[in-house]
Amino acid sequence: MEQIKNVIVDYLKANSFMDKGTNLEDNDSLTQKGVIDSIGLLELMDYISEKYSIEIPEEMLTPENFDSLQGITNMVKKLAK
Amino acid sequence: MRIDAYITEYARKTPQNIALEEGKNSISYGCLDRDINIIASPLMDFKHCRFAILAETGIQYIKLLMAVYRSANIAIPLPIEFPKFSLELILDAANVNNIIVTDTQYSRFGENFFERFGTVIVVSNDTSLNILRKKIESETNNPELRLVMYTSGTTGTPKGVMLSDRNLVANAESIIEVLCITSKDKGALVISPHHAFGNSIIDSHIMAGGSIRIGNMNFIDSVFNLIGSGVSIFYGVPSTYRILLRYPDRFKKSFTNVRTAASAGGGMDRGIVKDILDLAPDLKILPMYGQTEATARLAYLPSEDVDKFVDTIGKSIPGVTLEVFDSECRSVEPNITGELVARGDNILLGYLDDEIATKKRIINGWLHTGDLAQKLPNGYIRLLGRKDDLIKIGDHRVNPREIERHIEENNKVSKVFVVPVPHELMGTAISLMVIPIEGTETDDLFAFCRKSLPGYLCPREILLIDHLPLSENGKISNRSIIEEYKHVKASV
Repeated sequence: MEQIKNVIVDYLKANSFMDKGTNLEDNDSLTQKGVIDSIGLLELMDYISEKYSIEIPEEMLTPENFDSLQGITNMVKKLAK
Repeated sequence: MRIDAYITEYARKTPQNIALEEGKNSISYGCLDRDINIIASPLMDFKHCRFAILAETGIQYIKLLMAVYRSANIAIPLPIEFPKFSLELILDAANVNNIIVTDTQYSRFGENFFERFGTVIVVSNDTSLNILRKKIESETNNPELRLVMYTSGTTGTPKGVMLSDRNLVANAESIIEVLCITSKDKGALVISPHHAFGNSIIDSHIMAGGSIRIGNMNFIDSVFNLIGSGVSIFYGVPSTYRILLRYPDRFKKSFTNVRTAASAGGGMDRGIVKDILDLAPDLKILPMYGQTEATARLAYLPSEDVDKFVDTIGKSIPGVTLEVFDSECRSVEPNITGELVARGDNILLGYLDDEIATKKRIINGWLHTGDLAQKLPNGYIRLLGRKDDLIKIGDHRVNPREIERHIEENNKVSKVFVVPVPHELMGTAISLMVIPIEGTETDDLFAFCRKSLPGYLCPREILLIDHLPLSENGKISNRSIIEEYKHVKASV
Protein backbone atom coordinates (compact mmCIF):
# COMPACT_ATOMS: atom_id res chain seq x y z
CA MET A 1 0.00 0.00 0.00
CA GLU A 2 2.65 2.50 1.12
CA GLN A 3 4.80 1.28 -1.72
CA ILE A 4 2.29 2.15 -4.42
CA LYS A 5 1.83 5.57 -2.88
CA ASN A 6 5.56 6.22 -2.87
CA VAL A 7 5.86 5.20 -6.51
CA ILE A 8 3.22 7.78 -7.42
CA VAL A 9 4.76 10.53 -5.31
CA ASP A 10 8.18 9.79 -6.81
CA TYR A 11 6.69 9.99 -10.28
CA LEU A 12 5.02 13.34 -9.52
CA LYS A 13 8.27 14.73 -8.13
CA ALA A 14 10.50 13.31 -10.88
CA ASN A 15 8.27 14.82 -13.56
CA SER A 16 8.13 18.17 -11.80
CA PHE A 17 4.39 18.12 -11.21
CA MET A 18 5.20 19.08 -7.66
CA ASP A 19 8.13 20.56 -5.79
CA LYS A 20 10.31 18.39 -3.62
CA GLY A 21 9.00 20.26 -0.59
CA THR A 22 5.27 19.99 -1.33
CA ASN A 23 3.37 18.17 1.35
CA LEU A 24 0.63 16.02 -0.11
CA GLU A 25 -1.88 14.34 2.17
CA ASP A 26 -3.42 11.05 1.13
CA ASN A 27 -6.82 12.56 0.47
CA ASP A 28 -5.76 15.91 -1.01
CA SER A 29 -7.23 16.67 -4.42
CA LEU A 30 -4.44 16.52 -7.00
CA THR A 31 -6.31 18.75 -9.41
CA GLN A 32 -7.54 21.32 -6.89
CA LYS A 33 -4.12 21.60 -5.31
CA GLY A 34 -2.81 22.38 -8.79
CA VAL A 35 -0.47 19.38 -8.74
CA ILE A 36 -1.68 17.91 -12.00
CA ASP A 37 -3.86 18.83 -14.99
CA SER A 38 -5.70 16.80 -17.60
CA ILE A 39 -2.67 16.05 -19.78
CA GLY A 40 -0.64 15.23 -16.68
CA LEU A 41 -3.34 12.82 -15.51
CA LEU A 42 -3.19 10.99 -18.82
CA GLU A 43 0.58 10.67 -18.53
CA LEU A 44 0.28 9.44 -14.96
CA MET A 45 -2.32 6.93 -16.06
CA ASP A 46 -0.06 5.61 -18.82
CA TYR A 47 2.79 5.34 -16.34
CA ILE A 48 0.74 3.43 -13.79
CA SER A 49 -0.72 1.10 -16.42
CA GLU A 50 2.73 0.16 -17.59
CA LYS A 51 4.33 -0.01 -14.18
CA TYR A 52 1.71 -2.36 -12.75
CA SER A 53 0.76 -4.08 -16.02
CA ILE A 54 -2.86 -3.13 -15.58
CA GLU A 55 -5.46 -1.80 -17.94
CA ILE A 56 -7.55 1.03 -16.52
CA PRO A 57 -11.04 1.03 -18.04
CA GLU A 58 -12.24 4.53 -18.86
CA GLU A 59 -15.27 4.27 -16.58
CA MET A 60 -12.76 4.18 -13.72
CA LEU A 61 -11.27 7.53 -14.73
CA THR A 62 -13.30 9.42 -12.16
CA PRO A 63 -12.34 11.88 -9.44
CA GLU A 64 -12.97 9.18 -6.80
CA ASN A 65 -10.32 6.93 -8.34
CA PHE A 66 -7.87 9.43 -9.69
CA ASP A 67 -7.90 12.69 -7.78
CA SER A 68 -5.97 11.64 -4.68
CA LEU A 69 -3.08 9.42 -3.69
CA GLN A 70 -5.51 7.30 -1.69
CA GLY A 71 -7.89 6.93 -4.64
CA ILE A 72 -5.16 5.93 -7.08
CA THR A 73 -3.61 3.50 -4.61
CA ASN A 74 -6.95 1.78 -3.99
CA MET A 75 -7.62 1.57 -7.70
CA VAL A 76 -4.23 0.04 -8.47
CA LYS A 77 -4.72 -2.52 -5.71
CA LYS A 78 -8.11 -3.45 -7.05
CA LEU A 79 -6.94 -3.77 -10.64
CA ALA A 80 -3.66 -5.52 -9.92
CA LYS A 81 -5.41 -8.42 -8.23
CA MET B 1 -25.14 46.72 -23.84
CA ARG B 2 -23.15 44.85 -21.22
CA ILE B 3 -23.05 41.04 -21.23
CA ASP B 4 -24.60 40.83 -17.75
CA ALA B 5 -27.61 42.86 -18.95
CA TYR B 6 -28.61 39.90 -21.12
CA ILE B 7 -28.86 37.81 -17.95
CA THR B 8 -31.21 40.41 -16.44
CA GLU B 9 -33.26 40.37 -19.60
CA TYR B 10 -33.62 36.57 -19.61
CA ALA B 11 -34.26 36.63 -15.84
CA ARG B 12 -37.29 38.76 -16.69
CA LYS B 13 -38.48 36.86 -19.77
CA THR B 14 -37.62 33.26 -18.87
CA PRO B 15 -36.62 33.23 -15.20
CA GLN B 16 -37.03 29.45 -14.83
CA ASN B 17 -34.76 28.56 -17.74
CA ILE B 18 -31.49 26.97 -16.73
CA ALA B 19 -28.49 29.20 -17.39
CA LEU B 20 -25.59 27.21 -15.95
CA GLU B 21 -25.00 23.62 -14.91
CA GLU B 22 -22.07 22.13 -13.06
CA GLY B 23 -21.95 18.60 -11.68
CA LYS B 24 -25.22 18.07 -9.84
CA ASN B 25 -25.89 21.81 -9.52
CA SER B 26 -27.69 24.12 -11.86
CA ILE B 27 -28.93 27.68 -11.69
CA SER B 28 -31.75 29.42 -13.50
CA TYR B 29 -31.51 32.86 -15.11
CA GLY B 30 -33.65 34.28 -12.32
CA CYS B 31 -31.42 32.99 -9.51
CA LEU B 32 -28.24 33.79 -11.40
CA ASP B 33 -29.32 37.39 -11.82
CA ARG B 34 -30.17 37.68 -8.13
CA ASP B 35 -26.78 36.22 -7.05
CA ILE B 36 -24.92 38.58 -9.39
CA ASN B 37 -26.69 41.53 -7.75
CA ILE B 38 -25.71 40.29 -4.28
CA ILE B 39 -22.03 39.95 -5.22
CA ALA B 40 -22.03 43.23 -7.13
CA SER B 41 -23.48 45.28 -4.29
CA PRO B 42 -20.20 45.98 -2.37
CA LEU B 43 -18.53 46.87 -5.69
CA MET B 44 -21.08 49.53 -6.62
CA ASP B 45 -19.25 52.43 -4.98
CA PHE B 46 -16.07 51.81 -6.97
CA LYS B 47 -15.95 53.99 -10.07
CA HIS B 48 -14.63 52.01 -13.04
CA CYS B 49 -11.79 50.32 -11.11
CA ARG B 50 -9.73 47.24 -11.90
CA PHE B 51 -10.76 44.03 -10.12
CA ALA B 52 -8.70 40.87 -10.30
CA ILE B 53 -10.86 37.73 -10.20
CA LEU B 54 -9.42 34.56 -8.71
CA ALA B 55 -11.86 31.70 -9.05
CA GLU B 56 -11.79 28.08 -10.15
CA THR B 57 -13.71 27.05 -13.25
CA GLY B 58 -17.40 26.83 -12.45
CA ILE B 59 -20.68 28.63 -11.85
CA GLN B 60 -18.99 30.73 -9.18
CA TYR B 61 -16.43 32.13 -11.61
CA ILE B 62 -19.18 33.31 -13.95
CA LYS B 63 -21.07 34.98 -11.08
CA LEU B 64 -17.95 36.86 -10.01
CA LEU B 65 -17.16 37.96 -13.56
CA MET B 66 -20.71 39.17 -14.18
CA ALA B 67 -20.78 40.96 -10.81
CA VAL B 68 -17.74 43.00 -11.79
CA TYR B 69 -19.46 43.82 -15.09
CA ARG B 70 -22.70 44.73 -13.32
CA SER B 71 -20.95 47.16 -10.98
CA ALA B 72 -19.50 48.86 -14.11
CA ASN B 73 -15.95 48.02 -13.04
CA ILE B 74 -13.14 46.30 -14.94
CA ALA B 75 -12.61 42.53 -14.72
CA ILE B 76 -9.16 40.97 -14.81
CA PRO B 77 -9.60 37.18 -14.58
CA LEU B 78 -6.50 35.34 -13.37
CA PRO B 79 -5.74 32.04 -15.09
CA ILE B 80 -5.63 29.83 -11.98
CA GLU B 81 -3.87 26.97 -13.74
CA PHE B 82 -0.75 29.13 -13.88
CA PRO B 83 1.87 28.81 -11.14
CA LYS B 84 1.82 31.46 -8.42
CA PHE B 85 4.81 33.38 -9.77
CA SER B 86 3.13 33.75 -13.20
CA LEU B 87 0.05 35.17 -11.52
CA GLU B 88 2.24 37.58 -9.62
CA LEU B 89 3.82 38.70 -12.90
CA ILE B 90 0.33 39.39 -14.22
CA LEU B 91 -0.67 41.28 -11.07
CA ASP B 92 2.51 43.38 -11.26
CA ALA B 93 1.75 44.24 -14.88
CA ALA B 94 -1.95 44.88 -14.28
CA ASN B 95 -1.42 47.36 -11.48
CA VAL B 96 -4.58 46.24 -9.74
CA ASN B 97 -5.65 47.22 -6.21
CA ASN B 98 -8.76 45.12 -5.79
CA ILE B 99 -9.48 41.42 -5.85
CA ILE B 100 -12.58 39.30 -5.60
CA VAL B 101 -11.86 35.66 -4.82
CA THR B 102 -13.65 32.41 -3.99
CA ASP B 103 -13.04 31.01 -0.51
CA THR B 104 -11.48 27.91 -2.10
CA GLN B 105 -8.82 29.97 -3.85
CA TYR B 106 -8.36 32.22 -0.84
CA SER B 107 -7.35 29.29 1.34
CA ARG B 108 -5.31 27.75 -1.46
CA PHE B 109 -3.20 30.85 -2.10
CA GLY B 110 -3.01 31.93 1.55
CA GLU B 111 -3.29 35.27 3.27
CA ASN B 112 0.16 36.55 2.22
CA PHE B 113 -0.70 36.39 -1.45
CA PHE B 114 -3.46 38.95 -0.88
CA GLU B 115 -1.38 41.49 1.05
CA ARG B 116 -0.79 43.59 -2.07
CA PHE B 117 -4.50 44.40 -2.45
CA GLY B 118 -6.32 47.34 -0.89
CA THR B 119 -9.65 45.57 -1.37
CA VAL B 120 -10.18 41.85 -0.77
CA ILE B 121 -13.65 40.33 -1.09
CA VAL B 122 -14.05 36.60 -0.46
CA VAL B 123 -17.15 34.91 -1.85
CA SER B 124 -18.28 31.53 -0.58
CA ASN B 125 -20.34 28.94 -2.43
CA ASP B 126 -23.62 30.10 -0.91
CA THR B 127 -22.88 33.63 -2.22
CA SER B 128 -22.23 35.03 1.24
CA LEU B 129 -19.58 37.73 1.15
CA ASN B 130 -16.69 38.36 3.46
CA ILE B 131 -15.24 41.83 2.89
CA LEU B 132 -11.77 41.51 4.44
CA ARG B 133 -10.92 45.09 3.58
CA LYS B 134 -12.12 47.76 1.25
CA LYS B 135 -10.24 50.78 -0.03
CA ILE B 136 -11.64 52.81 -2.88
CA GLU B 137 -8.97 54.56 -4.91
CA SER B 138 -9.66 56.52 -8.05
CA GLU B 139 -8.13 55.17 -11.24
CA THR B 140 -7.71 56.48 -14.75
CA ASN B 141 -8.72 53.87 -17.29
CA ASN B 142 -9.78 53.78 -20.92
CA PRO B 143 -13.47 54.75 -20.53
CA GLU B 144 -14.63 51.79 -22.66
CA LEU B 145 -12.55 49.20 -20.82
CA ARG B 146 -14.52 46.29 -19.35
CA LEU B 147 -12.31 43.18 -19.43
CA VAL B 148 -8.57 42.56 -19.49
CA MET B 149 -7.42 39.15 -20.71
CA TYR B 150 -3.84 38.10 -20.39
CA THR B 151 -2.35 36.26 -23.34
CA SER B 152 -0.43 33.08 -22.58
CA GLY B 153 3.10 34.03 -21.51
CA THR B 154 3.67 31.80 -18.49
CA THR B 155 7.17 33.29 -18.60
CA GLY B 156 8.22 36.71 -19.84
CA THR B 157 6.18 39.89 -19.63
CA PRO B 158 2.47 39.21 -19.81
CA LYS B 159 0.38 41.41 -22.08
CA GLY B 160 -3.12 42.49 -21.05
CA VAL B 161 -5.60 42.70 -23.90
CA MET B 162 -8.16 45.45 -23.21
CA LEU B 163 -11.69 44.67 -24.35
CA SER B 164 -14.86 46.77 -24.26
CA ASP B 165 -18.54 45.86 -23.93
CA ARG B 166 -18.85 46.48 -27.65
CA ASN B 167 -15.98 44.02 -28.34
CA LEU B 168 -17.59 41.31 -26.22
CA VAL B 169 -21.09 41.74 -27.61
CA ALA B 170 -19.95 42.04 -31.24
CA ASN B 171 -17.88 38.86 -31.10
CA ALA B 172 -20.60 36.91 -29.28
CA GLU B 173 -23.13 38.01 -31.92
CA SER B 174 -20.88 36.76 -34.72
CA ILE B 175 -20.34 33.44 -32.97
CA ILE B 176 -24.08 33.00 -32.36
CA GLU B 177 -24.66 33.48 -36.08
CA VAL B 178 -21.91 31.10 -37.20
CA LEU B 179 -22.90 28.33 -34.80
CA CYS B 180 -26.65 29.05 -34.99
CA ILE B 181 -26.86 29.14 -31.19
CA THR B 182 -30.39 29.46 -29.76
CA SER B 183 -31.95 29.43 -26.31
CA LYS B 184 -32.48 25.67 -26.80
CA ASP B 185 -28.76 25.00 -27.04
CA LYS B 186 -26.58 23.67 -24.29
CA GLY B 187 -22.89 24.40 -24.75
CA ALA B 188 -20.12 22.39 -23.09
CA LEU B 189 -17.44 24.43 -21.36
CA VAL B 190 -14.59 22.06 -20.49
CA ILE B 191 -11.73 24.42 -21.32
CA SER B 192 -10.53 27.27 -19.14
CA PRO B 193 -13.06 30.14 -18.94
CA HIS B 194 -10.26 32.52 -17.95
CA HIS B 195 -8.99 32.77 -21.53
CA ALA B 196 -10.53 34.12 -24.72
CA PHE B 197 -11.99 30.88 -26.09
CA GLY B 198 -13.71 29.84 -22.87
CA ASN B 199 -14.92 33.38 -22.27
CA SER B 200 -16.51 33.51 -25.71
CA ILE B 201 -18.47 30.33 -24.97
CA ILE B 202 -19.95 31.98 -21.87
CA ASP B 203 -20.82 35.22 -23.69
CA SER B 204 -22.40 33.67 -26.75
CA HIS B 205 -24.58 31.13 -24.94
CA ILE B 206 -25.74 33.70 -22.38
CA MET B 207 -26.59 36.24 -25.07
CA ALA B 208 -28.63 33.57 -26.84
CA GLY B 209 -30.46 32.76 -23.60
CA GLY B 210 -29.26 29.16 -23.72
CA SER B 211 -27.40 27.13 -21.14
CA ILE B 212 -23.82 26.13 -20.46
CA ARG B 213 -22.66 22.91 -18.86
CA ILE B 214 -19.39 23.51 -17.06
CA GLY B 215 -16.79 20.85 -16.39
CA ASN B 216 -13.15 20.13 -17.08
CA MET B 217 -11.01 17.62 -18.91
CA ASN B 218 -9.47 16.02 -15.84
CA PHE B 219 -11.48 12.84 -15.57
CA ILE B 220 -12.44 11.17 -18.81
CA ASP B 221 -15.44 9.34 -17.44
CA SER B 222 -16.92 12.60 -16.16
CA VAL B 223 -16.19 14.36 -19.45
CA PHE B 224 -18.02 11.75 -21.50
CA ASN B 225 -20.94 11.84 -19.06
CA LEU B 226 -21.04 15.61 -19.44
CA ILE B 227 -21.07 15.39 -23.24
CA GLY B 228 -23.83 12.79 -23.15
CA SER B 229 -25.99 14.88 -20.81
CA GLY B 230 -27.81 16.76 -23.56
CA VAL B 231 -25.01 19.01 -24.76
CA SER B 232 -25.74 20.24 -28.29
CA ILE B 233 -22.50 22.15 -28.97
CA PHE B 234 -19.15 20.90 -27.75
CA TYR B 235 -16.10 23.14 -27.74
CA GLY B 236 -12.50 22.04 -27.56
CA VAL B 237 -8.97 22.82 -28.59
CA PRO B 238 -7.37 20.22 -30.87
CA SER B 239 -5.76 18.45 -27.91
CA THR B 240 -9.20 18.13 -26.27
CA TYR B 241 -10.30 16.08 -29.28
CA ARG B 242 -7.05 14.09 -29.32
CA ILE B 243 -7.66 13.10 -25.70
CA LEU B 244 -11.32 12.16 -26.29
CA LEU B 245 -10.43 10.15 -29.38
CA ARG B 246 -8.31 7.82 -27.27
CA TYR B 247 -11.64 6.29 -26.23
CA PRO B 248 -13.44 5.64 -29.52
CA ASP B 249 -16.34 3.65 -28.06
CA ARG B 250 -17.19 6.27 -25.47
CA PHE B 251 -16.71 9.01 -28.04
CA LYS B 252 -19.18 7.39 -30.38
CA LYS B 253 -21.79 6.91 -27.67
CA SER B 254 -21.56 10.30 -25.98
CA PHE B 255 -21.51 12.38 -29.18
CA THR B 256 -24.67 10.73 -30.60
CA ASN B 257 -26.85 13.73 -29.76
CA VAL B 258 -24.28 16.49 -30.12
CA ARG B 259 -24.98 18.74 -33.12
CA THR B 260 -21.71 20.60 -33.51
CA ALA B 261 -18.13 20.07 -32.42
CA ALA B 262 -16.40 23.44 -32.57
CA SER B 263 -12.69 23.95 -32.18
CA ALA B 264 -10.28 26.82 -31.78
CA GLY B 265 -6.94 27.53 -30.20
CA GLY B 266 -4.94 25.75 -32.87
CA GLY B 267 -5.42 24.09 -36.24
CA MET B 268 -7.36 20.83 -36.53
CA ASP B 269 -5.53 18.36 -38.71
CA ARG B 270 -6.92 15.87 -41.19
CA GLY B 271 -6.27 12.98 -38.82
CA ILE B 272 -8.48 14.38 -36.06
CA VAL B 273 -11.27 15.30 -38.49
CA LYS B 274 -11.23 11.86 -40.07
CA ASP B 275 -11.24 10.08 -36.70
CA ILE B 276 -14.16 12.18 -35.46
CA LEU B 277 -16.23 11.66 -38.59
CA ASP B 278 -15.55 7.91 -38.58
CA LEU B 279 -17.11 7.74 -35.12
CA ALA B 280 -19.79 10.40 -35.48
CA PRO B 281 -20.64 10.83 -39.18
CA ASP B 282 -23.51 13.27 -38.53
CA LEU B 283 -21.55 15.58 -36.26
CA LYS B 284 -20.82 19.00 -37.73
CA ILE B 285 -17.16 19.89 -37.20
CA LEU B 286 -16.57 23.60 -37.13
CA PRO B 287 -12.98 24.81 -36.77
CA MET B 288 -12.58 28.46 -35.81
CA TYR B 289 -9.60 30.74 -35.72
CA GLY B 290 -8.97 33.78 -33.58
CA GLN B 291 -6.87 35.64 -31.09
CA THR B 292 -7.43 37.18 -27.69
CA GLU B 293 -6.74 40.49 -29.46
CA ALA B 294 -9.92 39.90 -31.47
CA THR B 295 -11.93 39.15 -28.27
CA ALA B 296 -11.94 35.54 -29.45
CA ARG B 297 -12.88 34.68 -33.00
CA LEU B 298 -11.91 36.01 -36.43
CA ALA B 299 -12.62 33.22 -38.90
CA TYR B 300 -14.36 29.89 -39.28
CA LEU B 301 -14.39 26.99 -41.65
CA PRO B 302 -17.96 26.03 -42.66
CA SER B 303 -18.47 22.40 -41.68
CA GLU B 304 -19.33 21.33 -45.24
CA ASP B 305 -15.80 22.31 -46.29
CA VAL B 306 -13.95 20.63 -43.43
CA ASP B 307 -12.96 17.65 -45.55
CA LYS B 308 -11.45 19.68 -48.34
CA PHE B 309 -10.13 22.79 -46.62
CA VAL B 310 -9.07 21.70 -43.14
CA ASP B 311 -5.61 23.13 -43.80
CA THR B 312 -7.20 26.62 -44.04
CA ILE B 313 -8.95 28.83 -41.49
CA GLY B 314 -11.84 29.35 -43.89
CA LYS B 315 -13.39 32.81 -44.06
CA SER B 316 -14.07 35.73 -41.76
CA ILE B 317 -16.94 35.56 -39.27
CA PRO B 318 -19.80 38.06 -39.83
CA GLY B 319 -18.79 41.58 -38.85
CA VAL B 320 -15.07 41.01 -39.43
CA THR B 321 -12.97 41.89 -42.49
CA LEU B 322 -9.81 39.88 -43.08
CA GLU B 323 -7.06 40.90 -45.48
CA VAL B 324 -3.51 39.84 -46.28
CA PHE B 325 -1.06 42.74 -46.34
CA ASP B 326 2.49 43.08 -47.59
CA SER B 327 5.12 44.92 -45.56
CA GLU B 328 3.79 48.26 -46.92
CA CYS B 329 0.25 47.52 -45.70
CA ARG B 330 -1.03 46.92 -49.22
CA SER B 331 -3.45 44.09 -49.91
CA VAL B 332 -1.78 41.24 -51.83
CA GLU B 333 -3.10 38.93 -54.55
CA PRO B 334 -4.20 35.34 -53.83
CA ASN B 335 -1.36 32.84 -53.25
CA ILE B 336 1.06 35.56 -52.18
CA THR B 337 2.27 35.37 -48.58
CA GLY B 338 1.75 38.37 -46.33
CA GLU B 339 0.53 39.17 -42.83
CA LEU B 340 -3.07 38.48 -41.89
CA VAL B 341 -4.83 41.66 -40.72
CA ALA B 342 -8.36 42.15 -39.39
CA ARG B 343 -10.86 44.84 -38.59
CA GLY B 344 -14.24 44.79 -36.93
CA ASP B 345 -16.02 45.68 -33.69
CA ASN B 346 -14.26 42.83 -31.92
CA ILE B 347 -10.75 44.25 -32.25
CA LEU B 348 -9.11 45.12 -28.93
CA LEU B 349 -8.97 48.65 -27.52
CA GLY B 350 -5.23 48.12 -26.99
CA TYR B 351 -2.83 46.56 -24.51
CA LEU B 352 -3.18 47.63 -20.89
CA ASP B 353 -0.73 50.40 -20.00
CA ASP B 354 1.37 49.65 -23.08
CA GLU B 355 0.97 52.13 -25.90
CA ILE B 356 4.06 51.01 -27.77
CA ALA B 357 2.81 47.43 -28.09
CA THR B 358 -0.64 48.77 -29.06
CA LYS B 359 0.77 50.90 -31.88
CA LYS B 360 2.68 47.92 -33.23
CA ARG B 361 -0.41 45.73 -33.41
CA ILE B 362 -3.13 48.21 -34.43
CA ILE B 363 -2.15 50.22 -37.49
CA ASN B 364 -4.77 52.45 -39.14
CA GLY B 365 -7.53 50.48 -37.47
CA TRP B 366 -6.25 47.11 -38.67
CA LEU B 367 -5.21 44.48 -36.16
CA HIS B 368 -1.93 42.97 -37.35
CA THR B 369 -2.26 39.36 -36.24
CA GLY B 370 1.41 38.40 -36.59
CA ASP B 371 0.26 35.35 -38.57
CA LEU B 372 1.59 34.81 -42.08
CA ALA B 373 -1.15 33.95 -44.53
CA GLN B 374 -2.20 33.52 -48.14
CA LYS B 375 -5.61 34.06 -49.68
CA LEU B 376 -6.78 31.14 -51.80
CA PRO B 377 -8.62 31.81 -55.07
CA ASN B 378 -11.94 30.87 -53.37
CA GLY B 379 -11.37 33.52 -50.69
CA TYR B 380 -10.42 31.11 -47.90
CA ILE B 381 -7.27 31.86 -45.99
CA ARG B 382 -4.36 29.56 -45.29
CA LEU B 383 -2.02 30.27 -42.40
CA LEU B 384 1.71 29.81 -42.84
CA GLY B 385 3.05 30.18 -39.32
CA ARG B 386 3.97 33.13 -37.17
CA LYS B 387 5.75 36.15 -38.59
CA ASP B 388 8.09 35.91 -35.60
CA ASP B 389 8.85 32.32 -36.55
CA LEU B 390 10.63 33.23 -39.78
CA ILE B 391 14.20 32.00 -39.54
CA LYS B 392 17.15 33.79 -41.03
CA ILE B 393 19.60 31.36 -42.59
CA GLY B 394 22.60 33.08 -44.11
CA ASP B 395 20.81 36.00 -45.75
CA HIS B 396 17.67 34.06 -46.57
CA ARG B 397 14.45 34.55 -44.66
CA VAL B 398 12.90 31.14 -44.40
CA ASN B 399 9.43 30.09 -43.26
CA PRO B 400 9.87 26.79 -41.39
CA ARG B 401 6.16 25.90 -41.77
CA GLU B 402 6.46 25.95 -45.58
CA ILE B 403 9.49 23.65 -45.51
CA GLU B 404 7.66 21.29 -43.17
CA ARG B 405 4.66 21.13 -45.48
CA HIS B 406 6.86 20.55 -48.55
CA ILE B 407 8.65 17.62 -46.89
CA GLU B 408 5.42 16.16 -45.46
CA GLU B 409 3.65 16.26 -48.82
CA ASN B 410 6.43 14.42 -50.64
CA ASN B 411 7.59 11.78 -48.18
CA LYS B 412 6.37 8.88 -46.07
CA VAL B 413 6.06 10.73 -42.78
CA SER B 414 3.33 11.74 -40.37
CA LYS B 415 4.69 15.13 -39.27
CA VAL B 416 7.85 17.16 -39.81
CA PHE B 417 9.18 19.96 -37.60
CA VAL B 418 11.97 22.29 -38.59
CA VAL B 419 14.30 23.19 -35.72
CA PRO B 420 16.58 26.21 -36.07
CA VAL B 421 20.03 25.21 -34.79
CA PRO B 422 23.22 27.28 -34.51
CA HIS B 423 25.61 27.05 -37.45
CA GLU B 424 29.18 28.24 -37.60
CA LEU B 425 28.95 29.86 -41.01
CA MET B 426 25.33 30.66 -41.64
CA GLY B 427 24.45 31.66 -38.12
CA THR B 428 21.48 29.35 -38.21
CA ALA B 429 20.85 26.06 -39.96
CA ILE B 430 18.00 23.60 -39.63
CA SER B 431 17.53 20.15 -38.17
CA LEU B 432 14.37 18.09 -38.50
CA MET B 433 12.26 16.27 -35.98
CA VAL B 434 9.99 13.75 -37.63
CA ILE B 435 7.04 11.73 -36.41
CA PRO B 436 7.40 8.56 -38.49
CA ILE B 437 4.83 6.26 -40.04
CA GLU B 438 5.44 2.80 -41.41
CA GLY B 439 8.06 3.10 -44.12
CA THR B 440 9.70 6.29 -42.88
CA GLU B 441 13.44 6.16 -43.66
CA THR B 442 15.73 8.95 -42.52
CA ASP B 443 18.05 8.17 -45.45
CA ASP B 444 15.21 8.82 -47.88
CA LEU B 445 14.43 12.11 -46.13
CA PHE B 446 18.03 13.25 -46.34
CA ALA B 447 18.09 12.30 -50.01
CA PHE B 448 14.85 14.19 -50.67
CA CYS B 449 16.09 17.32 -48.92
CA ARG B 450 19.40 17.28 -50.76
CA LYS B 451 17.61 16.89 -54.06
CA SER B 452 14.71 19.27 -53.66
CA LEU B 453 15.83 22.00 -51.25
CA PRO B 454 18.60 24.56 -51.59
CA GLY B 455 21.85 23.55 -49.87
CA TYR B 456 21.43 25.88 -46.93
CA LEU B 457 18.14 24.17 -46.04
CA CYS B 458 19.62 20.67 -45.90
CA PRO B 459 19.01 19.37 -42.38
CA ARG B 460 22.04 18.86 -40.14
CA GLU B 461 20.31 15.93 -38.49
CA ILE B 462 16.98 14.15 -38.49
CA LEU B 463 15.54 12.98 -35.18
CA LEU B 464 12.53 10.69 -34.90
CA ILE B 465 10.00 11.64 -32.22
CA ASP B 466 6.71 10.13 -31.12
CA HIS B 467 4.53 13.09 -30.14
CA LEU B 468 3.72 16.65 -31.17
CA PRO B 469 5.98 19.38 -29.75
CA LEU B 470 3.12 21.30 -28.14
CA SER B 471 3.57 24.25 -25.84
CA GLU B 472 1.82 24.50 -22.47
CA ASN B 473 -1.23 26.00 -24.13
CA GLY B 474 -1.28 23.33 -26.82
CA LYS B 475 0.20 25.30 -29.68
CA ILE B 476 3.09 24.61 -32.01
CA SER B 477 5.63 27.36 -32.63
CA ASN B 478 9.39 27.64 -33.04
CA ARG B 479 9.61 27.99 -29.30
CA SER B 480 7.74 24.78 -28.52
CA ILE B 481 9.70 22.95 -31.23
CA ILE B 482 13.03 24.13 -29.85
CA GLU B 483 11.95 23.12 -26.34
CA GLU B 484 11.10 19.63 -27.54
CA TYR B 485 14.36 19.41 -29.47
CA LYS B 486 16.30 20.21 -26.31
CA HIS B 487 14.39 17.47 -24.46
CA VAL B 488 15.11 14.94 -27.17
CA LYS B 489 18.80 15.85 -27.30
CA ALA B 490 19.10 15.71 -23.53
CA SER B 491 17.59 12.24 -23.40
CA VAL B 492 19.84 10.78 -26.13
